[in-house]
Amino acid sequence: MADPYKPREPFAPWDRRQLPGLFDVEESARRVGNYKWAEMKLFETLGGWVATVPELDVKMRLGTHCYHHAWHAELWHKRLPELREMNPDRLTQPANDAMVRFVAALAEPEAAEHTIEKLVGVYRVFIPHFIAAYTFHRNNTSEITDAPTIRSLDFALRDEFDDWRDGEMLLQSLIETPEEVDRAAAHQARLEKIMLEAGGITGPGTIGGA
Amino acid sequence: MRKFFPVEDLARDSRFTQINMRQAEADPRTALVGPNAGKRAKVNRLTPSRPDASEAARNLMHGIFVGEIQALEGAGRTCHDFELPDSKDPLSTDTVPFALKLDMARQAWDESRHVEISVKLGEWMGAEIGQFAENTILFEAACSNDPVMRLAGVNRALEGLAIDVFTTMKEFGEVAGDPFLEFCEDWMLADEVTHVKMGSDWLRKVTENDPERRKKALEFQSIVDRLFSFGGARSESDDSPIGLARRFRELAGFTTDEVDEIADVSLAALEARKAFSAAAMASAE
Repeated sequence: MADPYKPREPFAPWDRRQLPGLFDVEESARRVGNYKWAEMKLFETLGGWVATVPELDVKMRLGTHCYHHAWHAELWHKRLPELREMNPDRLTQPANDAMVRFVAALAEPEAAEHTIEKLVGVYRVFIPHFIAAYTFHRNNTSEITDAPTIRSLDFALRDEFDDWRDGEMLLQSLIETPEEVDRAAAHQARLEKIMLEAGGITGPGTIGGA
Repeated sequence: MRKFFPVEDLARDSRFTQINMRQAEADPRTALVGPNAGKRAKVNRLTPSRPDASEAARNLMHGIFVGEIQALEGAGRTCHDFELPDSKDPLSTDTVPFALKLDMARQAWDESRHVEISVKLGEWMGAEIGQFAENTILFEAACSNDPVMRLAGVNRALEGLAIDVFTTMKEFGEVAGDPFLEFCEDWMLADEVTHVKMGSDWLRKVTENDPERRKKALEFQSIVDRLFSFGGARSESDDSPIGLARRFRELAGFTTDEVDEIADVSLAALEARKAFSAAAMASAE
């Protein structure tokens, strides 16, 4: 039988987590506030669109994904006070004006004939940018001091990947002509240009390099 | 995208045909008096022994299906249509708290699952999407500019009706020996009790310091309850296909007095419907 009093290393040989991270408490809180704002705008838009899309399968997916993003917003809302922000509303902000314009352009399509534009905005632009922002944060923050943020990022990322796959498959099944390919690409390019100006969901430096 | 989406613009594929409440009530196939009345069973409650039980159950399941679509759309719109409260004007009537929005998003997910469940149950029962008309009264109750009215009209009245409908369908599945139907209805019933309780809790919380607004909301709920009684389709009378699920309503936060009031309103709606049908028949003669 193993001796229970034999000293063991506090970190097992397979546990390679490191203390250093790119973000201090303030920077982590700022990013989390931007995430909460963006997730809120996304779930509000998805909820609003449910009544506007005639395709039944799309309608049901939007309702389901609406909750996923609301839950992410709730996770970030709860994380903010743990990052010394006792008034979560203060940091629940867009990264910059371009992000506000991005969300306005994303939510613009309303007509029943514009399901492709709605899905392109969410699943080919916004969600890939969430995946990028969350992945960068997850891989660069301290794995020990900021573990609660990492746990929430992991939950959110899993949803983002699953939702992206759902949305991309819906899009591929809806796009049936070369003209619709052009429509999808044009809308994607329009939104990507605004996102480029924004620098990503948390502004310049969202995925480093700023 | 606009704030506040009109019922006429609800997006549907080509299988759906939408009608309003008046058209639904004027349908001679549902007459409670007049020459068609004799063709109906003496007891109107949905039971397997009714000669038209299969068709009536398919009709009711299709009604659940379209009702779930509209409930999904209504919850989604409440996420979108209102801003968060401004700290300078916390009593504004056109804003909703963040936590209420989260609850509405949760409800949107639940209603999406209910649409999925009712599509599969409809197929199981031999119904097709679009086989019956869609009455859009449910979404109309979700169109108010005041979120508290939506809570009263949708979460308390509509979701309350859903409790009654699912209880009736669950019992129908049980008596008919259809465990699949009973199983699914029981799960949906659990969600609906949660939604009604959510509505009851938020209604109290949001109107805590505004008794006049609460009074108006409860009056609106009463009006919607009368409408959702579908001219007597839901009441404690055997003339109504759908019963009143007292126990589950109490679990969802309704007081005994409130359930009694709904029972009275429903019975009155049944009598009004009979009178309307009789007058319509008389004028046609």
